[in-house]
Amino acid sequence: MKSFWWVAPAVSVLAVMSLYPLAFLVLSGFHSSSGEWTLQNFTRMASDRMLGEALWHTALFVTVALTLELLFGLVLALLIDSVRRGRGLLRTTIMVPMLLPPVVAAVVWRLIYNPQFGLLNGTLRAFGADPSALTWTNGEGGALWSVIAVDVWEWTPFVFLLVSAALQSLPQEALEAARVDGASRWRVFFDIELPLLKPVLLLAAMLRGIDLIRVFDQVFMLTQGGPGFATETISLYIYRTAFRFFDFGYAAAMSILLLIIATFLARRLARQLRPQA
Amino acid sequence: MTTTYINWMRRMRNRLLMAVALLLLTSCNQSARPLTIAINAGVEGDALKAAAQEWGDKSGVPVEVVELPYSNLFEKLLLDLTSKTGAYDVVMMDDPWFPRMVEGGKLLELPTPDADFLESCLDVCRHPYKTGKFYALPYVGNSQLFFYRKDLFELQHLAEPKTWDDVLAAAAKLRFKKTINGKIDERFGYVMRAAPGNAAVTDFMPLFWAYGGELLDAKGNPSLNTAESVAALEMMLRLGKYSPPGYAGFNADEVSAHLLQSTAAMSINWPAWIAAMDNPQKSRVVNAIGFAPMPGARLPGQAELGAWLLGIPAASHNAEQAKLFIAWATGRQAMKEAAVRGNPPTRRQVFLDPDLLRRFRSYPMQLKSLETARPRPRTTQWNEIENVFGIAISKANAGSLTAVEAMAQAQADIAAIVARGGK
Repeated sequence: MKSFWWVAPAVSVLAVMSLYPLAFLVLSGFHSSSGEWTLQNFTRMASDRMLGEALWHTALFVTVALTLELLFGLVLALLIDSVRRGRGLLRTTIMVPMLLPPVVAAVVWRLIYNPQFGLLNGTLRAFGADPSALTWTNGEGGALWSVIAVDVWEWTPFVFLLVSAALQSLPQEALEAARVDGASRWRVFFDIELPLLKPVLLLAAMLRGIDLIRVFDQVFMLTQGGPGFATETISLYIYRTAFRFFDFGYAAAMSILLLIIATFLARRLARQLRPQA
Repeated sequence: MTTTYINWMRRMRNRLLMAVALLLLTSCNQSARPLTIAINAGVEGDALKAAAQEWGDKSGVPVEVVELPYSNLFEKLLLDLTSKTGAYDVVMMDDPWFPRMVEGGKLLELPTPDADFLESCLDVCRHPYKTGKFYALPYVGNSQLFFYRKDLFELQHLAEPKTWDDVLAAAAKLRFKKTINGKIDERFGYVMRAAPGNAAVTDFMPLFWAYGGELLDAKGNPSLNTAESVAALEMMLRLGKYSPPGYAGFNADEVSAHLLQSTAAMSINWPAWIAAMDNPQKSRVVNAIGFAPMPGARLPGQAELGAWLLGIPAASHNAEQAKLFIAWATGRQAMKEAAVRGNPPTRRQVFLDPDLLRRFRSYPMQLKSLETARPRPRTTQWNEIENVFGIAISKANAGSLTAVEAMAQAQADIAAIVARGGK
């Protein structure tokens, strides 16, 4: 009983801040706009073409952005780790995109991507090239890739930060021993460093993966889901359904679906993080 | 230890109760209840904000202005009106929101206004549309205008475009692309916004109506599978050939930037951009832009109406003061002052005011456009319909759907929305 009173404040905060909204969300999903109990919000998802497209865009976004962020983050961390002088300055410079608020970063990139007046096409024009076919976020073919590029630019430093910290704490004895035994740089990396970095890479994948599934800011600011429906992600679609169409029941049902997907993926990654017996 | 903790919890509870009681007592003691006005954070809202402060000073009633960005204003207002919180006493509404906001007795009825207001602006304040009682009064009289480069038209001996075919022919003639000293210099004949949602629909509606298209039939069902709808979209796609690459992602900012930088010769635009066009610090086309009525095709051209309305939530705690404020703010003198601050008026006499005519060269054309302007379809589901319609139009402009496919997709999507209820 004594222990109950000690945990009571934490439990109450958790209940109010987390469980109540979750319960409200689930209940909303089972209610129609007129307030009756219904399963319609869930059955509607099966025939919603736009939801399917939004899920596909989200899956593509998560897969490509996560792969590139992990790859670039790891490579950058290894490169900076091997630098002898100016390492601190390089680290700080690399961190800058992550320190910008996502909305500000998106506005900056919107100006850069503008096909007529933007920095990218302007630079190409200055070199005598004709970039009129490069429409970046304004073209259906390249819009999603352009938004992914912004996310990779902004969040690669996060992976870099985690991997850099992990590299600092690698057991130097094992690395030294391998080098003394004549192992090549690649051999040391693949056989010693990479296995030791695996937990931190999995952690980065889990944190970024969860964030990427919910991606909203960049898409909202850069393309609003367009052109056409080319960059509509699940979070944007849920936002529109809830706050533009005021269909809270259907938005809640889609949020539950998103929650299930995110939980499933996070659990799979978390399982990998557990120490092997 | 546990007893100490429980006692501490009790003391905290008692203090909290005392604070709540004190708060209730002080709030009951207040003499004048403030008038809370929710406005759009933008040029239309700025004039209303200034008017509210002026009225507050004159009447002695404290005024609180809540400024919200366009995208948030709708959700905040609808939440307040639906849950009847009475957080706002006067609300500023974009006219397509009105059918959704007025249904179910969410707004208070207002007295019939005088005959000086333009009919197109008054019709959208009635529930049901055109025939019902008044639940709002029009504050800003926005309607689209056709912007064209008067100087270039004169240079090329082109007449002001009367039809969309004229626009297409002029766009072809005014388009050029040259390479001078290794640098590309180009101008597009036409520029439009075709980003999904509101942007694409807003630029498409004048074409759609000119070709005889109707989005919803008399029963409220979509009627997009028609030759007229397809012809209108095909014309939009033909105009797209003379528009800058990537226009399928353009919004108002990009369209106006092209006009301001003299890289496009024609577009549909809103009066709010006129000031920038004639500002030498922002524009390369000062006094070079002409304004024409919306071009026609099979039918005479009609611009889209974009009026801002003022209404009173049924749950307002200060309804009488709110009525006085709306009557004052939409009166001739206050509206003239708002016009000076940049808001297009909704009263004929303000449009014809000699001071304002001297100041705003586009007023005669704005009045002409507003007299025949057409609102977006009056349905409670407009936001959802506009979204799917805009996606189909944007996709066609981006090249992933043909005009026929886009109209078929929009027809199916809108039919599903209508079937879900609440036509």
